[in-house]
Amino acid sequence: MSSGPQGDRLIRVDMTTQTATTEPYPDAWKLLGGRALSARILLEECDPSCDPLGADSVLVMAPGVMAGTSAPTSGRISMGGKSPLTGGIKEANAGGEPGQDLMKLGYRAVVVTGQPSDPDKRYGLEVDESGVRVVEADDTKGLWNYALCEKLYERYPKKASFISIGPAGEMKLSGASIACTDEKGRPARHAARGGLGAVMGSKGLKYVAVDAAKRPVRMPADRKPFFAYSKDYTKNYLAGPQMFKTGTSSVVPVANMLHTFPYKNRTEGQSPDAKTLDGARIVESFEERGGGMHNCMTGCVVQCSNVVHDKDGNYKTSALEFETLTLLGANCAIASWEDVADLDRLCDEIGLDTIETGAAIAIYMDSGGMEFGDAEGAKRILREIAEGTELGTAIGNGAASIGRKQKHKRVPVVRGQAIPAWDPRPLKATGVTYATSPMGADHTAGLIVNPGLPPDQFARASQESQLVNAVCDASGFCQFLQPTIPEIASYYSMLYGEEISREQVADMGWQCLQDEWAFNRGAGWKDADDDLPEVMKNEGVGPDGVMKFDVPKDVIAQAKQQRFDPRDELFQLKATG
Amino acid sequence: MVVVAIPPPYRGPTAGADRIEVPAGTVRQCIDAVEARFPGFRTQILDDRGRVHSFVKLFVNGDQLGADALEIAVGDGDRLEVLAAIAGG
Repeated sequence: MSSGPQGDRLIRVDMTTQTATTEPYPDAWKLLGGRALSARILLEECDPSCDPLGADSVLVMAPGVMAGTSAPTSGRISMGGKSPLTGGIKEANAGGEPGQDLMKLGYRAVVVTGQPSDPDKRYGLEVDESGVRVVEADDTKGLWNYALCEKLYERYPKKASFISIGPAGEMKLSGASIACTDEKGRPARHAARGGLGAVMGSKGLKYVAVDAAKRPVRMPADRKPFFAYSKDYTKNYLAGPQMFKTGTSSVVPVANMLHTFPYKNRTEGQSPDAKTLDGARIVESFEERGGGMHNCMTGCVVQCSNVVHDKDGNYKTSALEFETLTLLGANCAIASWEDVADLDRLCDEIGLDTIETGAAIAIYMDSGGMEFGDAEGAKRILREIAEGTELGTAIGNGAASIGRKQKHKRVPVVRGQAIPAWDPRPLKATGVTYATSPMGADHTAGLIVNPGLPPDQFARASQESQLVNAVCDASGFCQFLQPTIPEIASYYSMLYGEEISREQVADMGWQCLQDEWAFNRGAGWKDADDDLPEVMKNEGVGPDGVMKFDVPKDVIAQAKQQRFDPRDELFQLKATG
Repeated sequence: MVVVAIPPPYRGPTAGADRIEVPAGTVRQCIDAVEARFPGFRTQILDDRGRVHSFVKLFVNGDQLGADALEIAVGDGDRLEVLAAIAGG
């Protein structure tokens, strides 16, 4: 038995001087990764009152604890910073290869600070076996993500992976995402929510190139038990129902049935286009066109990511997810999944969050700016975002931004960030998450799809879901693998060769939330604002519009005021996002 | 009696109840029995032609049922479990 991964390091990048250095990774942080590590670094090193797009802002890129190992579906990477949308802390994570590659090289995080004096300059960060360095990259300025990666693959080895921004990030738009390349080297996996692409853009950092060459996976301390556990875990997963086998898009009919498939800027909870937007149509297209399900990162057993081809059998986009089909499809009354696939590709190219952008376009439609259902108009608007027109900029800055421009009243945002597809009116406990989570309205922070949950359980269900998801997002495991806290504790124990209890891991999840709430208090968030917008309270969905968000503020407050005593159910709860 | 395990997404009609006991019979009869007590439950499981929705999976005592799921007999002490895919993305 060894002591597990040794010699880990932290990369520090100063974009004011365009220098990169490495330093030993603190042993005290060895069980922190992903979201929890990002939260700790931001709380300790970033002034929460800073301008999120200014020189004092800090951007963290942190793979989960298990990334780079042979554990199944465990290589996700968290991007963290101060959100230009919510003004609070934000973590958005993605699959793809960079998390795996950084960890194979022993780098637990990349911490980016400062800002170049010339905002027109572009830089790249190179990370490989020989070290780390910042390089000039003006020739990548303005490139869309796919063209950028093609260019980068001319410069770097085919095995390299990239973290990048498109024009939206360079323009510092609040809806900008950060892209990660998938197994095929496509920039199709996005840390999308909260506008962290704008933070990366504000630092003049166009891309990070990670070349792990032939570095092996990270070796755990307890190798035999670790490998046996992974083998069993994978075997059991594959023997199970594999609920995500056909992708998140197959959730459309369930969501529609539950009135959480918003239509026309959330004026209704069901869409008449649920059948044409159903992921089953995408799966049906595979036979004639090619494409299919794949794993977005090495070692994934879930394989929920669809690869969508056009009518000529050429690659169009990946992955076309439930949230995208909802916000850019149903919510805009765009009925064709193929149109949504075009919009998804444009968002990935320009580097935009499909949730925020879909919500913004729907608000523009609802305010009379264009007709609902105008798919070609929506595509034109996305191109305008990249061109920097006044309208494009307003949409690219997100739902609240276009709402202000149009002086429109129906703007479904929480703390400036658009509400995801999962609707807080039929799913009230999820609404409690949107009101109290440090992430704001982000379903991956604590989704509870239980329309029959008694009101006296809303707060506890939300808190427990937030805690389990924080643990998962710190671990590197994908939420769709649905690991429990005890399973993650077992993995941590075998990785480091020491007993790590489920209670310790749960405590780390709670501490992560504490760190994030502390940051947000410093950023000026007030507990009194822990609520949803009036539109969610006054405009109902479902039969006769009876489903409204009517959870009292004192119940909402219970989700974060104090920790509920851990109970057995907490340790059986699966991450869900 | 058969225990029908209701997944969280389908607990709206059952007012939060996570397991319902119904008399033994076929899977279809069990679903009908739940519907009789909690109207609105069946449409979550079966489409308008009476077939199991493509996004629903049924299990008896942990074994996933196939195409003939609705006609499978479930006896006293058996557990009929309903699963539905839920994820964001």
